[in-house]
Amino acid sequence: MANLLWLQGGACSGNTMSFLNAEEPSACDLVTDFGINILWHPSLGLELGDNLQKLLRDCVSGAMPLDIFVFEGTVVNAPNGSGEWNRFAGRPMKQWVRELADAATYVVAIGDCATWGGIPAMAPNPSESQGLQFLKRQHGGFLGKDWKSRSGLPVINVPGCPAHPDWITQMVVAIATGRGADIGLDEFQRPKTFFQSFTQTGCTRNMHFAYKVSATEFGQRKGCLFYDLGCRGPMTHSPCNRILWNRVSSKTRAGMPCLGCTEPEFPFFDLAPGTVFKTQTVMGVPKDLPLGVDKKGYISLTAAAKNAAPPWAEQDLFVV
Amino acid sequence: MSAVQTLDISPVGRVEGDLDVRVEIANGVVTNAWTQAELFRGFEVILRDKDPQAGLVVTPRACGICGASHLTCAAWALDTAWQTEVPRNAILARNLGQIVESLQSQPRYFYGLYAIDLTNKKYRGSPFYDEACRRFAPFTGSSYERGVTISGKPVEIYALLGGQWPHSSYMVPGGVMCAPTLTDITRAWAILEYFKVNWLEPVWLGCTLERYEQIRSHEDFLAWLDESPRHADSDLGFYWRMGLDIGLHRYGGGVGKYVSWGYLPHEDKYQKPTIDGRNAAVIMKGGVYDGTRDTHVVMDQKFCRENLAHAWYDEGSADQHPFHRVTRPVAKNDSDFAGKYSWASAVSHADFGRLEAGPFARQLVAGGPHGEPWQHQDPLILDMYKTMGGASLHLRQIARMHETIKLYRQAERCLREFKLNDPWYIKPKERDGRGWGATEAIRGALCHWIEVKDGKIKNYQIIAPTTWNVGPRDGAQARGPIEEALIGAPIADASDPVEVGHVARSFDSCLVCTVHAHDARTGDELARFRIG
Repeated sequence: MANLLWLQGGACSGNTMSFLNAEEPSACDLVTDFGINILWHPSLGLELGDNLQKLLRDCVSGAMPLDIFVFEGTVVNAPNGSGEWNRFAGRPMKQWVRELADAATYVVAIGDCATWGGIPAMAPNPSESQGLQFLKRQHGGFLGKDWKSRSGLPVINVPGCPAHPDWITQMVVAIATGRGADIGLDEFQRPKTFFQSFTQTGCTRNMHFAYKVSATEFGQRKGCLFYDLGCRGPMTHSPCNRILWNRVSSKTRAGMPCLGCTEPEFPFFDLAPGTVFKTQTVMGVPKDLPLGVDKKGYISLTAAAKNAAPPWAEQDLFVV
Repeated sequence: MSAVQTLDISPVGRVEGDLDVRVEIANGVVTNAWTQAELFRGFEVILRDKDPQAGLVVTPRACGICGASHLTCAAWALDTAWQTEVPRNAILARNLGQIVESLQSQPRYFYGLYAIDLTNKKYRGSPFYDEACRRFAPFTGSSYERGVTISGKPVEIYALLGGQWPHSSYMVPGGVMCAPTLTDITRAWAILEYFKVNWLEPVWLGCTLERYEQIRSHEDFLAWLDESPRHADSDLGFYWRMGLDIGLHRYGGGVGKYVSWGYLPHEDKYQKPTIDGRNAAVIMKGGVYDGTRDTHVVMDQKFCRENLAHAWYDEGSADQHPFHRVTRPVAKNDSDFAGKYSWASAVSHADFGRLEAGPFARQLVAGGPHGEPWQHQDPLILDMYKTMGGASLHLRQIARMHETIKLYRQAERCLREFKLNDPWYIKPKERDGRGWGATEAIRGALCHWIEVKDGKIKNYQIIAPTTWNVGPRDGAQARGPIEEALIGAPIADASDPVEVGHVARSFDSCLVCTVHAHDARTGDELARFRIG
């Protein structure tokens, strides 16, 4: 039996909605089969008002053991560091977060807002939002860079806007089945099992990428989205094309460019004019190249690829 | 008469976002109420001066529950601003995305957010109580587990179109990003069918869709209920009977006036979208129903008004159109229930005052004689409203779930109408201008205004369903729809005021959607942005 508490700060509830799409295990399976005792969740919990405040105080004091604390959304510090713009259960949410994080065995940040700050922390960050242990690429965040939970692990970051339900449930199952120690984290505290491969890994448009056949506009059944439409699949760490979304597809398969939402910089270029769904180039070469590829290598590779492209690559290939 | 007791409830859970409620109770009945929106993020600041298409990325992420609805509004707002042409396939693909998001929400909301309150110990005396616990107990109830799990199915269709749900941006000015193939359409059919044969018909209705669709009046409904034990014992039949037994039809009424923007533009009637052409182009008509006078009229964005007298802004007490607001927040958001106590503004109609938004409003509007002859018309909920003595939280639930069957049929229709070899996207020319896009999110009327100037966003504004419903008192001291609906609620146990939860949850409130943008350092609101 593991007690789990899930709270939301500056959040849209998208990670909760994504979590509820989980199937193996489902949210209900976590409770009935894996012994996860969900103490409270904003969309699922029974208690309200004073009864919830008592439960939260019991978690802080240790009267109620808190094994897993899941936080969704940013830590809101506005105005002027007070956190009054996000009040919850009678006081600023940030005060609850600090006390509950210190009391918990594991702390999981779910989604971009809780990991890096996400969209609310985009410049000029009007709500003074932070992630739990990062603000964008900068280590520290709300809890500080040296903070560790009682398990000895820092915050486990499960980014994505939203995070895929399996990324959430599999981490919870790992903790519940005694494999917490096996959760290897990368430099951004993301579980390596999900975030070492690329979004492009497994994309159905990889052949078009290889032959540099571009989807030049939307609504097509062929072509790679990287060259013109701003897709960040080759530069983004996620398993979106290994562990499919809603069991059936992924954005790049369906024809939507990857926005790079598992990386700290999301949303890239701060959505400045001219940057949305358009590849940023200098002299025809993308500013951001596939990770580890240099400009010279890219130019010789794509020149050769284009020369070698077979005729079928320009026809409808039902890549979606 | 006993003393008035004041009860502050922080938070009311199982609404989306942070809602606080204060009620005054006399003789066990709520006599006064205040609803407070307690969260700010800063979306407007983020959108201002950004790429015109930034709303397609940002606004679905303002609300993870109604992201498809925001995306729909964001896309149509740009279409009207850029004067695009949208091919019929794309209209259908947008509609289908909107519909399946709403279908998802039906079992998820009913079991996950609403029905578990029927297992509250308050109802131990009801003959329906044991069965309610068996069905609706969180995580372990038979219907809860089935309903919450199957709620993920409809949005698999969204993922076929947009790659994922929530938070895709596949609707873009000029159409959609996807170009579904035959297998996408057939898989979508199979998913719909799965939803129907595993939940909608056997669990929710206890009959076929065709049998249910014959119900056109309250009397028809009661005859259906008596016709077979399968009907009476279905979750719909059971909820109906238990709701009446525990008195849910006796409170939770509200302001008695209702609004809908209408939704689902017809694929042949809105290929050249304009703000003014929308009312006559949507399959599900919009309008205002005034229950006090039993009148229906069409709705227009120009009737929108906002009032800040009791919201945390310093802007006087006169009503203003959203376009004309100059937003000045107060420096400190202390709760003053005689003064300012919420970040939500009070939204109203210039002629009709405060209006309730949501699926109940949609069904009351759908019963009216107004609009185009070809538009959808459905008399059932309006008939129940009249024969059952007006609004209640019971009827609000019935109206919401009644829509499921119609949404299902509209999804089927989209799948039949796609022409796989026709275009999905017509590349538009980017230009400056003003646009407006609207839809009905499952929880109610949603719209976006955009102004593009010099190739970037000059202003982006949203009025969300929860802004209509959860707003505080206005300049005339009139209560907001949820505040009004709380009046008369019986509170059996002030330490567990489940009845307040019932009422708030019957509106499916979404507080994450009621957002204004402030600059934390100066305290100035940089502009206004509300999401729902």
